[in-house]
Amino acid sequence: MEFVNPEGLRLDGRRATEMRQFRAEIGVVSRADGSAVFEMGNTKVIAAVYGPREVQNKSQQINDKAVVRCEYSMANFSTGDRMRKPKGDRRSTEISLVIRQTMEACILTNLMPRSQIDIFVQVLQADGGTRSACINAATLALADAGIPMRDLVTSCSAGYLNSTALLDLNYVEDSAGGPDVTVGFLPKLDKVTLLQMDAKLPQDTFKNVMELAIEGCKAVANYIRDILMENTKRLECRRGV
Amino acid sequence: MRGEVEIPLNKTQKLRLERALEKLESISSKANLSDASVTVADEISVNYEDGVLQGHGTSEMNGRLVATVCGVVERVNRLVYVRALRSRYKPETGDIIVGRVIEVAPKRWKVEINFSQDAVLMLSSMNLPDGIQRRRTAVDELNMRSIFEENDVVCAEVRGFQHDGSLHLQARSQKYGKLDKGQLLKIPPYLVKKRKQHFHHLNDYGVDLILGCNGFIWIGEHVAAVDDMVVDQIIKSEQPDSKAGDSVNSDEQEQSYTSLDIRQNICRMANAVRVLSSLGFMVTMEAIVEIVKLSNSKKFDIHDMLGAEFYVVVAEEEATRRSSSSKKR
Amino acid sequence: MLQSRSFVKKTKQGGVRKIVREHYLRDDIYCGAPFCKVCDVSGAKLSDAPSPLLVVDTNVVLNQIDLLENPAIDDVVVLSVVLQEVNNKNISIYNRLRSLCSNASRKFFVFSNEHHRDTYVKDMAGETPNDRNDRAIRVATRWYQDHLGGAVHVLLLTNDRENKRKAIEEGISAETVESYVKSLGQPELLDLIVQPPSEDVKMEDVEDLRPSKRKVIYTEHKPMSEITSGLLRGIFHQGKLRVNRYNPFEAYVGSESIGDEIIIYGRTNMNRAFDGDVVAVELLPQDQWQGETSIAITNEEDEEEDVHLPPSSADDAPRATNLVQGSTGAANSPPSRPSGRVVGIIKRNWHSYCGSVEPMPMPAGSGGVVHALFVSKDRRIPKIRIQTRQLDNLLDKRIVVAVDKWDVLSRYPSGHYVRTIGVIGDRDTETEVVLLENDVEFKPFSSQVLACLPPLPWSVSSEDLANPIRQDLRHLQVFSVDPPGCKDIDDALHCTALPSGNFEVGVHIADVTNFVHPGTPLDDEASKRGTSVYLVERRIDMLPKPLTEDICSLRADVERLAFSVIWEMTSEADIISTRFTKSVIKSSAALSYVEAQARMDDSRLVDPVTTDLRNMNALAKIMRQKRIDRGALTLASAEVKFQIDTETHDPLDIGMYQIREANQMVEEFMLAANISVAQKILDHFPQCALLRRHPTPTKEMLEPLIRTASAVGLQLDVSSSKALADSLDRAVGSDPYFNKLIRILATRCMSQAVYFCSGELSAPEYYHYGLAAPLYTHFTSPIRRYADVFVHRLLAASLGINRLPDVFQDKAQLTNISDNLNYRHRNAQMASRASVELHTLIYFRNRPTDTEARIVKIRSNGFIVFVPKYGIEGPVCLSKEGGWLVDEQQQRIKKSDNSIYYGVLQTVQIHMEVVEPQPNRPKLQLTLIEDTYMTKK
Repeated sequence: MEFVNPEGLRLDGRRATEMRQFRAEIGVVSRADGSAVFEMGNTKVIAAVYGPREVQNKSQQINDKAVVRCEYSMANFSTGDRMRKPKGDRRSTEISLVIRQTMEACILTNLMPRSQIDIFVQVLQADGGTRSACINAATLALADAGIPMRDLVTSCSAGYLNSTALLDLNYVEDSAGGPDVTVGFLPKLDKVTLLQMDAKLPQDTFKNVMELAIEGCKAVANYIRDILMENTKRLECRRGV
Repeated sequence: MRGEVEIPLNKTQKLRLERALEKLESISSKANLSDASVTVADEISVNYEDGVLQGHGTSEMNGRLVATVCGVVERVNRLVYVRALRSRYKPETGDIIVGRVIEVAPKRWKVEINFSQDAVLMLSSMNLPDGIQRRRTAVDELNMRSIFEENDVVCAEVRGFQHDGSLHLQARSQKYGKLDKGQLLKIPPYLVKKRKQHFHHLNDYGVDLILGCNGFIWIGEHVAAVDDMVVDQIIKSEQPDSKAGDSVNSDEQEQSYTSLDIRQNICRMANAVRVLSSLGFMVTMEAIVEIVKLSNSKKFDIHDMLGAEFYVVVAEEEATRRSSSSKKR
Repeated sequence: MLQSRSFVKKTKQGGVRKIVREHYLRDDIYCGAPFCKVCDVSGAKLSDAPSPLLVVDTNVVLNQIDLLENPAIDDVVVLSVVLQEVNNKNISIYNRLRSLCSNASRKFFVFSNEHHRDTYVKDMAGETPNDRNDRAIRVATRWYQDHLGGAVHVLLLTNDRENKRKAIEEGISAETVESYVKSLGQPELLDLIVQPPSEDVKMEDVEDLRPSKRKVIYTEHKPMSEITSGLLRGIFHQGKLRVNRYNPFEAYVGSESIGDEIIIYGRTNMNRAFDGDVVAVELLPQDQWQGETSIAITNEEDEEEDVHLPPSSADDAPRATNLVQGSTGAANSPPSRPSGRVVGIIKRNWHSYCGSVEPMPMPAGSGGVVHALFVSKDRRIPKIRIQTRQLDNLLDKRIVVAVDKWDVLSRYPSGHYVRTIGVIGDRDTETEVVLLENDVEFKPFSSQVLACLPPLPWSVSSEDLANPIRQDLRHLQVFSVDPPGCKDIDDALHCTALPSGNFEVGVHIADVTNFVHPGTPLDDEASKRGTSVYLVERRIDMLPKPLTEDICSLRADVERLAFSVIWEMTSEADIISTRFTKSVIKSSAALSYVEAQARMDDSRLVDPVTTDLRNMNALAKIMRQKRIDRGALTLASAEVKFQIDTETHDPLDIGMYQIREANQMVEEFMLAANISVAQKILDHFPQCALLRRHPTPTKEMLEPLIRTASAVGLQLDVSSSKALADSLDRAVGSDPYFNKLIRILATRCMSQAVYFCSGELSAPEYYHYGLAAPLYTHFTSPIRRYADVFVHRLLAASLGINRLPDVFQDKAQLTNISDNLNYRHRNAQMASRASVELHTLIYFRNRPTDTEARIVKIRSNGFIVFVPKYGIEGPVCLSKEGGWLVDEQQQRIKKSDNSIYYGVLQTVQIHMEVVEPQPNRPKLQLTLIEDTYMTKK
């Protein structure tokens, strides 16, 4: 199938190195300590953070740092076919783990000993790149919850189809079966915290694809930073003196 | 700020709200408040030669000071810290807090105070109901539930962190203790400013207002306090004899009926707090009283106080208030 | 990089699901006109001239692609909505359109109207997708008109009346294709226009001319829904229709659902299906299953079999032949092969065909539109009805024709003229036909491809010498042995006696991959061509000439880059060690086979090259013997060689290709090198090595060989390749040619060796039957075979010299490549055979000849002879009137008076002459010279 036509346009009209439109909103769950919605095109994810709070299961308590937990789920209505999405299936367990590890790497857990942080992410609409969107939403929610972090983790996917490196794959491109690289990135520290790839990719092509994904992460980071800054300023000036 | 999403506004209300909020923003930007705002991993500019003490919400990365949370940079002499806005409560010794009892454990109560752990209120750091200072006996331990039960709302003071990292409270004063006949409100702690006075007796309304530093706010029927001075003396002297009868009497009084007026006042005040917090305005005694007055003067019903119109009115009022106060300055 | 364009959601209804896709609209899509002041003109493709801009609609593209491909049509704006529709409807036309758009010399510009902010149209309620697309086309045309202002005339070409009417209403100038082409004033272009179905009236006029034929000839095809359900229920069977190369009225459909081939007899049962179409077939009731023997002769239009080259393998041979013999053996048992008829066509395989117009008298009032019948060169294709205004011009020409449709009412499909190749019988024309028929790309290399070549004159640079991966072997005495006049020398040898008594033998192959890098246009072109094609009088190169004849050719006395395989061998030809390296060599002599042979035979010569040659020959003989002991078959083919007049390029003489010891010697080392390389690359890349296998023939495939052999009293053991080789060795008949004949017959029973990717098959299937080698690949001719280029890259990667190119990661692509290589390889063979046939015909045109021939098969109406001297095969007809009786079971033919009889493999005298039964269709006719003397003897 032709994913990039000779004119350089993808199926949805983007060029190879363009991302979908993204949008974020903070504070969407009133009961949570921090929450956010993150949209990348038609992919829409909501994240809620609770904590740091008392550890529920005492046996999991760690005396010198916080426990980070994550639960990923997909809403029944998130895909074209309205199907009951089983909880705790392999895929969501895996993604939960991925998000947990990625977020744990940037949270300064040692500052919150004997406590636990719960991250709940739910996919409201799935159109490819849910993993990335989840991580971005979780980052925003954590920042909103005022949890100290080393840096903002941002994530973006990139793939390689029709001998072209494509940024931010949507569902059609994602399900083409080509290589698909999801990168989690700490923009200020310039470090990669997550790297997942399906299928095989030659080394130097991989390098290009990954660099593209990192560029995408940086773009997301700039956006997230703007959103957070705006939010912080607004809170501060609303609060008054 | 959460309210923005939830409260349905009509077009004119939206416009008015926007204008009011813009006004607020212009005021604060005049005051150069926002320059100090940082987000996660933003660098904080400091003069390293002077020597810097890293405070909360900061961390060193590659020899530079960066923020680890979103918030406002505050500098106190050499100490640089980031005051996080939206985050859980950070206890400091001496803070007056309101909390809810979660668990009754041997010799202690676990109290939820919006901190990363549950706080501990030891039986020993608690004035006994009889007011006598003495060793706690096994009988006292058995009767702990008669003092506080699960889900009771209590007021206490932060005693400090123990060496094992747990947070301890104390309630060795008559002003602390169980709270009832009122409402507990939870708001983000950054909206409560630490002040000398957190207990307010609002005579006009017959209401007690406790602004817990942890963002828990108590509004309840006024309780005539036992003479504070006397209590202090009792703690010092630790005399075994007590005036048990007094407290029993007051208990009996408390069982009594609360008048409709006072109940309405409580609700009005609670709604004032809700409006303030949903707008993200600082919650102080003055602000609350002002909102209550506003609602009375504009003839808003109690339940209308949570409606869109009042929401906008409060925002407009706050805008004018702040602009006038900034002009004065 | 963050685009902030507004986007519109596009919903597609498919089943119950609602799919929502984003659709970004952009403002950076340009109009492609170089004089545009608003747009970025760097990508502009349209011409500067004020010629009108053409906007074509989907149906124009679908129907008139041949017209669009004509260089007279230019400055075309192809809208993305049109591309999309074409892609959905016909992928091959889509590909043709795409290649037009990417062709730098054609001014076709793709305008992505669907993603342009101003030309995107939203679906309106109650609008069909077709109407919506038509509207989109009009909106885009309108946009062009407004955008370019008065600078140029924008013309919408559409044959849809409604669309045209609306366009004119909206103030867009629109025309039908026909009126536009007429306005161009080039009458020959009009022939290219496909008659739109709306002009049925005209067609009926034509049919009326022959009222007898005005009836339904074929049954209607079943609707697709019925076919799908029929396939599901097992009533219909799906498969690709393959028409018998030797009998166009017989076709086979290989069906997976019944695990056998379904035979389809006659045009009526074929029901308008073409060769290569994917069809749905319904089985006929068993009592209608026919034996095929009778059919071959009784069919009305059966053309006689031509004289042709003998098939070189089972793949080329006529399918029915072995079956005939198989069923005759089983006496009168009812035919067990299922027959069927086509009920529907799932996918058409229509493309353009080469051929000529059937001779017909010029109708009165010539110059007007004439309907003619086109006869394809490929006999599998039925005659095609075309419309032309230039009949007198076309009668003696080879032309290309494309098929448009085939109604139930018409006996023949209708098509349209595409272009003229040249005069019939002209050698260049016929050669081009051969190339077109076999899908051989023979256009000169494009400038992009040539740009990939290193500048000439080229010589080995100091960097090459300094390169640590490249070993300097210039000190070695390297020489090459090739056919005389060979310019693309891709292999050279050396052989040094070591002090230990062993020999160091090296095979040096031109290092083509040093110049052909993956992903370059040069590489793409080579991989598309797959192989060089050798015709009698010309060669169609896979790589451009500078590479094949100079830079890569291992000529004498120049330094060249090579990829070397070097063995240490004992004098018993046991390989002690093998090593592979890139190298620099300097060939000391480029010998021809004849020269090499002469040197070896001339005992007076003791120069170093000759000594090496003799040593190598000795080794080669041992290796050959070992190979034969392992069970390798010595197969034979009837290769012929033409002597071509240097001036006229006409063949002067034909003769069998003579194989010398020197040939065998070189061949032996090449085989050894290929096997060594195959081993190496498979070890390193067990999943993606490109190997070559030769499947073990099945018993059924060898059946005709055994039958023929037993007819002359010869028992062949076919249980293994070793057994077969031995029994072939024993098959020594009365004359020296007998053995070769048997071997030729054996060869044609086997299927061809094929390339494959090691990941596709399991290890036992890698076996090369003919060579009795567990592993084999092609490494030694990278100049003329792409497979070797591929293997060079694999070998280099296994040595750590290069990184493995990306394609090796992609299994599907690897399979595609190996399939393409097989296809190209086969086509190249077919093309060279066709070229030889063509030249044979030219040769005999003025030379009626009497010669000796061997009977290879007895048929009901005569026998088939093989002419060893000219390497051709053809039928000799013996009519019943001549008093001949055929005994097919005994494989004998005799005169009714028992005076003469012929058996298989017997020698006969025949007369060969070119006759022209129909004008412009010359053929070689073989007739028997009854020679009583011969038979008595």
